[in-house]
Amino acid sequence: MTTSKSEALLHTPGHIKHDGHNLTGFIIFLCSESIIFFAFFVGYGVLKITAPTWYPDGVSGIAVKEPLINTIILVSSSFVIYFAERYLHKKNYWGFRIVWLLTMIMGAYFVYGQYVEWSELTFSLNSGVFGSLFYLLTGFHGLHVITGILLMGLMLIRSFIPGNYDKGEMGVESISLFWHFVDVIWIILFILIYVWQ
Amino acid sequence: MKSNLKRIINQKLISIVGVSLAIFIDLLLSKLMASWSYSWLPVQASSAAPYVDNLFAFETGIGTFIFLGCSGVIGWVLIFNRAPKYDESFGEPIEGNTNLEIVWTVIPLLLVIAIAIYSTNINSTLKNLGSKSKYDPQKDLIQNSELGQNISDAPIDVIARQWNWEFVYPEGFSSSELHLPINNKINFRLISKDVLHGFYIPAFRLKQDIIPGSIIEYSLTPTRAGVYRLRDSMFSGTYFSENQTNVIVESKDSYQNWIHKTVKKVPVNGLNQAGILYKKRLEKGDRGWATVPPNPPPMVNEPGDYQQPHEG
Amino acid sequence: MTITNYDERVLKASHPVPGAPNNWRRFFGFNTDAKVIGIQYIVTALFFLLLGGLLGMLIRGELITPPSDLFDPSVYNGLYTMHGTVMLFLFLFPVLSGLTNLLVPPMIGAPDMAFPKLNALAFWLVPVFSIVLLASFFVPGGPASSGWWSYPPVSIQNPLGHFLNGQMLWIVAIGLSGVSSIIGALNFVTTIIQMRAPGMGFFKMPIFIWTVLAAQILQLLGLPALTGGAIMLFFDLNFGTSFFNPETGGDPVLFQHFFWFYSHPAVYVMVLPVFGIFSELFPAYSRKPLFGYKFVAVASFGITILSLVVWVHHMFYTGTPMWMRNLFMFTTMLIAVPTGVKVFAWIATLWGGNLRLNTPMLFCLGGLFNFIFGGITGVMLATVPIDIHVGNTYFVVAHFHYIIFNTIAFGIFAGIYHWFPKFTGRMFYEGLGKVHFALTFIGATLNWLPLHWAGLLGMPRRVASYDPEFAIWNVIASIGAFMLGVASIPFILNMVSSWSRGKKAPPNPWGAIGLEWLLPSPPPHENFEDDIPTVLNEPYNYGLNKPFVFDEEFYISKALNDS
Repeated sequence: MTTSKSEALLHTPGHIKHDGHNLTGFIIFLCSESIIFFAFFVGYGVLKITAPTWYPDGVSGIAVKEPLINTIILVSSSFVIYFAERYLHKKNYWGFRIVWLLTMIMGAYFVYGQYVEWSELTFSLNSGVFGSLFYLLTGFHGLHVITGILLMGLMLIRSFIPGNYDKGEMGVESISLFWHFVDVIWIILFILIYVWQ
Repeated sequence: MKSNLKRIINQKLISIVGVSLAIFIDLLLSKLMASWSYSWLPVQASSAAPYVDNLFAFETGIGTFIFLGCSGVIGWVLIFNRAPKYDESFGEPIEGNTNLEIVWTVIPLLLVIAIAIYSTNINSTLKNLGSKSKYDPQKDLIQNSELGQNISDAPIDVIARQWNWEFVYPEGFSSSELHLPINNKINFRLISKDVLHGFYIPAFRLKQDIIPGSIIEYSLTPTRAGVYRLRDSMFSGTYFSENQTNVIVESKDSYQNWIHKTVKKVPVNGLNQAGILYKKRLEKGDRGWATVPPNPPPMVNEPGDYQQPHEG
Repeated sequence: MTITNYDERVLKASHPVPGAPNNWRRFFGFNTDAKVIGIQYIVTALFFLLLGGLLGMLIRGELITPPSDLFDPSVYNGLYTMHGTVMLFLFLFPVLSGLTNLLVPPMIGAPDMAFPKLNALAFWLVPVFSIVLLASFFVPGGPASSGWWSYPPVSIQNPLGHFLNGQMLWIVAIGLSGVSSIIGALNFVTTIIQMRAPGMGFFKMPIFIWTVLAAQILQLLGLPALTGGAIMLFFDLNFGTSFFNPETGGDPVLFQHFFWFYSHPAVYVMVLPVFGIFSELFPAYSRKPLFGYKFVAVASFGITILSLVVWVHHMFYTGTPMWMRNLFMFTTMLIAVPTGVKVFAWIATLWGGNLRLNTPMLFCLGGLFNFIFGGITGVMLATVPIDIHVGNTYFVVAHFHYIIFNTIAFGIFAGIYHWFPKFTGRMFYEGLGKVHFALTFIGATLNWLPLHWAGLLGMPRRVASYDPEFAIWNVIASIGAFMLGVASIPFILNMVSSWSRGKKAPPNPWGAIGLEWLLPSPPPHENFEDDIPTVLNEPYNYGLNKPFVFDEEFYISKALNDS
């Protein structure tokens, strides 16, 4: 690096920014992640149509009421998180923290509801095609919900670090995007498992 | 000026003649290769074989033309366009030619459409594959006898296991060898008792995977008497390569004779190469990596002669 | 010049900034420099090429005689399964990730990848899943032995019934490999989209960047399907679920759809960057512009899109309905069109050039020659009636080795030789390189050309023993395979000795055009640092009076001074 700056450059040096690609990367990641779910959904559809036996012996269908309540809570949390983001945007940090926490609680309630449903079911992972698919789909989605809650917790803790948002709100934006993603997946899942019986 | 023009015309003429000559030689060689390609395949023993072979020869011809054309150009530049040592000067700076690009997009497109139409026609002529229906393996299969109103149309059940074949005839006997009457359309039901298998007879140019949990209806018409190999073509575990048997195509009379003879035979253990090898392995102390033990051979009326010479 | 506006990573970098002492230890640690990671990937992968090659030679050793006499068939099945898995997941994907890591930032003028830490993580997953995979040789029952397809129900049979079994480790390794590839793909796509040099619009990118973008987008779209299938297979194997288990109502063919939805495009994930390498090298060594740059660039995405809708051609004989077979036959054949555009463009690039036949160019030419052959047998295999005869026979084995070794690995070797001076700062020995090429070309041809005939005559693939009528083809093939083993010796000699004591390389030994050739050899940690050139044209203006970057002279002399 000995080039002397005193020689006038004939060109303007170009720059490329190092950071700030997280959101782009995260969106690409979500697109890719959705394909796994897509694969599971296709698997569900194909087996539902073609399997010689569907529900396990002694099961004729699956209760819709409690899952529906669960669904409403999860879907509305998607709106709640939007308001949290708006608060953050307006630099109202306490408003953000409270509404963000509310989203986390709604997510946690969903997981609890899911747990209750699982514990009351009479069939297991090994009860034929339906049992396998049911637990795979709800379990894999539940794992995403739990991941989402943990990440939100992380963001909540980081919101107390002074100067955390100086470089932008990319973390919060990404997590909120993830949460919407988890919701949309659940809606499809709900339609597949509970509505299409 | 005039002589210059003449030279250019002369050069053009030479290159046109040269290219035409090259294309002619290429065409000739492709034709030769196409007719030669028939000898790369086993004997034609089913109604499907001539169609497949013709298509293969057709594609070999086209393929040879393209391959020789391309590698001819590569060979040409390798001989005539080599840079002398230490010469780093540029070649002709041609950036592209849209017309040429269109030509070599459209011609391959037309070619593949032609091949696709040709083979779609063959597909609809052959129609070997019938329906595929899933069944619940907890319940039993429909027995042959329930189907067999008209014995001559009733299917032969091909039952694949790890690792043996069993052929159950509508007349109610079974065999380790597949005997078929010549020039008759034969129906099969392909059934697997454990894993995926492949019903593959190279001389027939036909192959169909056997899917456990489904019954696949299949049909074919043998057209040449002889002994051919039937091979398992879909990997099915340890003794996969031993899972072969013979197909014997014979005249209608000798086929009927065989049936009459075999029906009366006392069932014995069927063909069982995998079992023999597994027994050897156990004798040597069961060394090697884990394997599922072979199924015991089915009791069959005709164990067949695996060692008899086969064509294709 | 005082450094003021450096990213702090530069100052902390373990990579030597020019002038600092050379530090070989950086290759053995968690380094975030894309160039270090690239070399880590390539060296690791080449080690696994040796291992996979050894497994391949063991297979050919067994197949040199018709009966199964060298190994027990169960061992043979494990060996060929591991051969395929090692070659694909431990050699080809990592080596291409390595080349991509080395080349993408310098070629687009970026200082590094968008996510350097994730990049290092993606690399360090390679040794992790390699160990998981290779550990399966030592578990009771041996490694996975159901082929690299792992089709159920064979793959879920688990003869010993242990939870810890080779197949299980195989699935875990593939899953981790998938995580690594997704992280890598994410990184490459983001980097290419967001970190290009000023003036480098999409239609001024090098073709290699185009193909990497196309390949990595394909990776992002396809790989999750395999992951989904692998998760289900894992549950079937270990927890008694019934996704693919016919005994409890599952559908084994469903797995094939998941598997091939990714694993067919996976071939394009591997071959597209190699097309990129061809497109870089042919112009450089023919001293001519790339013929029809825009067509070649766009054809990459034509291949990406088409390759997502062809997977059923692996299932022409699994009971797929006729309309579906016809449809997928047609889409598969259509891939020949964009591929043809590329092949013809390369040939037209050669035409009238001033060819320099050094090692990288020889590998390129050999690769192109083999690819034309493999492409033609590919169209044959796409044809339903022919595929019904030769599918699952050695014809398929011969075809895909013509693509995967005789084209992709040739292209990789070409790339390694071509960019070796750039990234090591040393020239390689041309003579050894040519010996390597000659042995590889002859060995590969002997190995896979004869197997086409074995397949046409009806020899199924994956067999541990075969009928004696196929013996002749197999003997020739085995000789070729052992020759390929010998070919690795000059290569290793060349790489090791050139890197340690080769002649010092100038910034641009080949007189090639491209941003990477405007850098010193080896390039500094952050490539162009705070003075990135402004790109004016695509990098193929050999012999044309079109400037590549603004003020090119300045960068050339700067690179010379810094070298």
